[in-house]
Amino acid sequence: MAEIKLSRRNFLKATLVSGATVALSKYFGDRKFSPEELFSTVEAAEGEGIKVKRVKSICSFCSIGCGYTGVVKDGVFTHIEPWKDHPINQGGMCCKGASLVTVTNNPRRLKWPMKKENGKWKRITWEQALDEIASKMVEIRNKYGPDAFFFCGLVHGSNEEAYMFRKFAMLWGTNNIDHQARICHSTTVAGLLATYGHGAMTGTTISIEHTKCAFFFGSNAAEAHPVFMRRVFNARDKNGAKIIVADPRFTRTASFADLFMQFRPGSDIALLYGIIHEIFKNGWADEEYLKDRTYGWEKLKEVVQDYPPEVVEDITWVPAEKIREAARIMAENRPVAVIWSMGATQHSTGTYIIRALAALSLVLGSQGKWGGGCIPIRGHDNVQGVTDLCVLSHFLPGYYSVKSEKSWEWYAKVFTESGKRGLTSGSITFDELKSRFDVIKDGPLKGKSLMTMPGFTVSNWYQGVLRKPIEEIDQNCNIRAAFFWGEAMSSIKEIAKQKEAFEKLDMLVIVDPYPTAASALPEKEDGIYLLPAATRQEGSGSVTTTGREWQWRDPIIEPQWESKTDFEIFKLLAKKIDEKMGKAFMYPFFDYKTIEDVTREINIACRPIGLQGQTPERLKRQKENAHTFDPHTGKAIGGPCDGEYWGLPWPCWTEEHPGTPVLYCDEYHPKEGGHDFRAKWKYPEGDPKAGEPIVREKWDKPWGSRHWTYAYVFDMSGKVVKQALEEGNPPTGRGKARIYVYEHFDKIPVHREPIESPRPDLVEKYPTFPDIEHKYRMVKYPLETEQKRAVAEERYRKYPIVLTSGRQVEHHGGGAQTRNSPILAEIQPECYVEISPKFAILNGIKNGDWVWVETARGRIKVKAKVTERASIDVPPYTVAFVPFHWNGVFQGQDYSNRYPKDGHGLGAELVVGDSVNIIVSTGVDSITQMQETKVSLCRIYKA
Amino acid sequence: MPVKFLVDFTRCIKCTGCEAACKQYNRVPTGVRRIRVVTINEGKRGQYTEKHIPLMCFHCVDAPCMKACPVKAIYKTKDGVVLVDKDRCIGCGYCLWACPFGAPQFPEAGTFGSKGIMDKCTFCLESFDGEKRDKPVAMCAAFCATQALLGGEVSEITKEYRERAAGRILPL
Repeated sequence: MAEIKLSRRNFLKATLVSGATVALSKYFGDRKFSPEELFSTVEAAEGEGIKVKRVKSICSFCSIGCGYTGVVKDGVFTHIEPWKDHPINQGGMCCKGASLVTVTNNPRRLKWPMKKENGKWKRITWEQALDEIASKMVEIRNKYGPDAFFFCGLVHGSNEEAYMFRKFAMLWGTNNIDHQARICHSTTVAGLLATYGHGAMTGTTISIEHTKCAFFFGSNAAEAHPVFMRRVFNARDKNGAKIIVADPRFTRTASFADLFMQFRPGSDIALLYGIIHEIFKNGWADEEYLKDRTYGWEKLKEVVQDYPPEVVEDITWVPAEKIREAARIMAENRPVAVIWSMGATQHSTGTYIIRALAALSLVLGSQGKWGGGCIPIRGHDNVQGVTDLCVLSHFLPGYYSVKSEKSWEWYAKVFTESGKRGLTSGSITFDELKSRFDVIKDGPLKGKSLMTMPGFTVSNWYQGVLRKPIEEIDQNCNIRAAFFWGEAMSSIKEIAKQKEAFEKLDMLVIVDPYPTAASALPEKEDGIYLLPAATRQEGSGSVTTTGREWQWRDPIIEPQWESKTDFEIFKLLAKKIDEKMGKAFMYPFFDYKTIEDVTREINIACRPIGLQGQTPERLKRQKENAHTFDPHTGKAIGGPCDGEYWGLPWPCWTEEHPGTPVLYCDEYHPKEGGHDFRAKWKYPEGDPKAGEPIVREKWDKPWGSRHWTYAYVFDMSGKVVKQALEEGNPPTGRGKARIYVYEHFDKIPVHREPIESPRPDLVEKYPTFPDIEHKYRMVKYPLETEQKRAVAEERYRKYPIVLTSGRQVEHHGGGAQTRNSPILAEIQPECYVEISPKFAILNGIKNGDWVWVETARGRIKVKAKVTERASIDVPPYTVAFVPFHWNGVFQGQDYSNRYPKDGHGLGAELVVGDSVNIIVSTGVDSITQMQETKVSLCRIYKA
Repeated sequence: MPVKFLVDFTRCIKCTGCEAACKQYNRVPTGVRRIRVVTINEGKRGQYTEKHIPLMCFHCVDAPCMKACPVKAIYKTKDGVVLVDKDRCIGCGYCLWACPFGAPQFPEAGTFGSKGIMDKCTFCLESFDGEKRDKPVAMCAAFCATQALLGGEVSEITKEYRERAAGRILPL
């Protein structure tokens, strides 16, 4: 029996489960595990004097934000119980959340810092790790500059830690910092922001109960967001709500639909326009709403004339009658909630697809209504928060653009104010901050400060390592060190190139509770550091749900083994860097005493989206009084939080504000959570009202007026916000939603074929965008060129099946946590490609056989799952599906042996598989560089 | 009043939250599935579209397993929960033959994977390793993400189910 030396507090006694032997190996393929490795159990607490503690917390998987209660017996986390009066999930959880104890108590966790030296993994102390990392950081910075670094990840981090991460990069002097939102909902943020003024989900999960029609467009919520379906079913059963699902696959969600439209991946805009065409044609558009509250709807009406259902049928596979039926159901059942996830976002036309979805919501008059709106459901427990705190290469926390010097002036002021208020001890001027950044030394952008240039994105980080400075990338040097701080490399495209990049780096630092595939994939002898981060169950901080709700987390237990919270690691690293630099460069800005002090700095800093009301005190008080909140509206009735909405959804303008559960809703006073479209644009040249502010046409309520935006984003006193609320207006004014966006390439979105398309004739008619130039540090990124090349190479002939990727309910993200859980690994042990029975027979494949899935980027070896869900053999619906949560195998080669081992269970994940992101398309969104993982061309054959 | 399970299969999405909740609460080892979500007609569309049903021990009032057991190892509590006395069980498997739902589980033991002692859903009255609790509170039902699986006193679960049915007949 393996002896694990732990403090008495964290003692886990592995007991032999009766009868479990090597025979269990069949549950995990060919791998053999000893019983202790599989399932550590805790000795049942007996007798009196055993202290049992129950701690409420928030699940650390998806963004719905389910509450649960962790049970701790005598200092050991034993299991979880439901938190029944949590307003969002009312106790319910999916298998991932329910398995949280096996993710936290897992001998396969990183227990202490490790380093790869001469091809071998060895255990080192925190002191040595930080010393070496900081030394190397300073050495690289001195030699190459601050842009020789790439920081990414922390999507599971708390809001506070996300803020610290972005602050770290700001003070380090680089914008090369990004996170998973880039490849998840970056197009959502860009599309919705351009249309409405804010880039987030316009309702909350709770508000979905009020819908009359749930339209799922590229969202498999039954597997990706199970608890969301609870609210949809409530709407169905209590409200008579209809369910429409549009998806390339007959997903589990689709099995509940009143109408299912199977459509070709990448033909999204065409399908939406077919529906909008019918809505306008039949006079179902809410023209009064459009005239009053939107700009450019007439131009949309013109454009959709090119998309009658008959034309759309040819582009999308969806029969014309179904398109008409969809329009009719939506028109007769309002408000309509337009729901999407990766199906809509991960495309080269992603931002435009989102704009089309936003337009649909407006045309139906369902935006700004309870039960209506745009519902982009996000992926991780805090991706919304980490997006809001802008761990992004083009924004500063709160969505201040890096391109404007005013944003940096603001932050110099914020960091100094933080010092004045005693949250930290730092102070800095704008010039000092700017001096930390490099300046381009050569080429067409010579002389430009890199401070005001967005950095590399997570989807193209490796280009910074591999391509030539100045000639191919807009910076003076290559990226030489990368920090994968809670980032799964297998969720990023072009894994083969990432492997090359990892191998070329001088230093790779992985900060994670688990080693992750990034530690094992590169065939690298030296230069990899693993720092054990504490799990979300071992630290405190706030997190933001997909519905903009802030929830406070308390730790269930203390960090196990030698793991540390990210909060602590930032502080220690900053301190070490200063030691190596010989001056107070970083640490004075990170010497927070408690994590609540960081929340307070966020309250000072992040003004555009109203993060002033989410103070630690209010959040904790809500947590204590969860039972006073009505789970069907999210509003507290009576009690200390009376009138507040659960989570104080932003914008929460002041410490008295209740939060804004439904964005853009003008039906009640802003002081009670009322809102409106953002008034920040002016009528463009050529318009009869050119130069005038775009504000709504009329306003006849007893409060407020047709006001332009107030100048509140740089007002640290908060007086302007208070004035706006007194005047009955949201500080963002009362503008109009823009269906016509004049700064975009396509002012009204149009259909454009994906980079890899099975229809060369449609590529001719609807080509993609011109190649991207000088964006996110890429001198040139091929879109049009690549699409033309794909047609010239006849990829549509060689690879006749459209490949799409997606989720399995049992796994999450890169799978480092879920595939290490014995519970989840048992329920879902395989990576597979779904093929239909007919395809199987025609190609001599049986269920469970190994097959190759091949694209122009290479091939992966996965199991064949023969299921009627797949429709590969039914032309034209030739779509194959592979889930993306898998790594440990690279193009058929198992690399589990390269994972670190520590003699106490550490190693590769319990179940491994090949990574679909090795072979997906190289296409990216023309605006955000979101990766086009939803449409690739492939072929499948027996291995 | 007896405790029962009721599955509303218009709501089960196979999130397997019930399976995981049971496993972690009752420390059930790999290879034993006290509750398992079964899918029928996977991928089929139309009138007979796919459905998911969590299946566990149904704690039958007139339990066939009790009748079949040759050593009388299976008994019933006053709440109607059917339990097995693991000290009496000989692992013969007759209860599995008798059960219409496949509830009895046999953790593998011995060289040829021969049957171990029977284990099954205990309505959370007993964990796999023998921890006993006083009240039958089904964790699977408590954790069900969509409230598809109802478990508890019959009077309570039928009340909830009737309200749901009424909502379907008379949408507001």
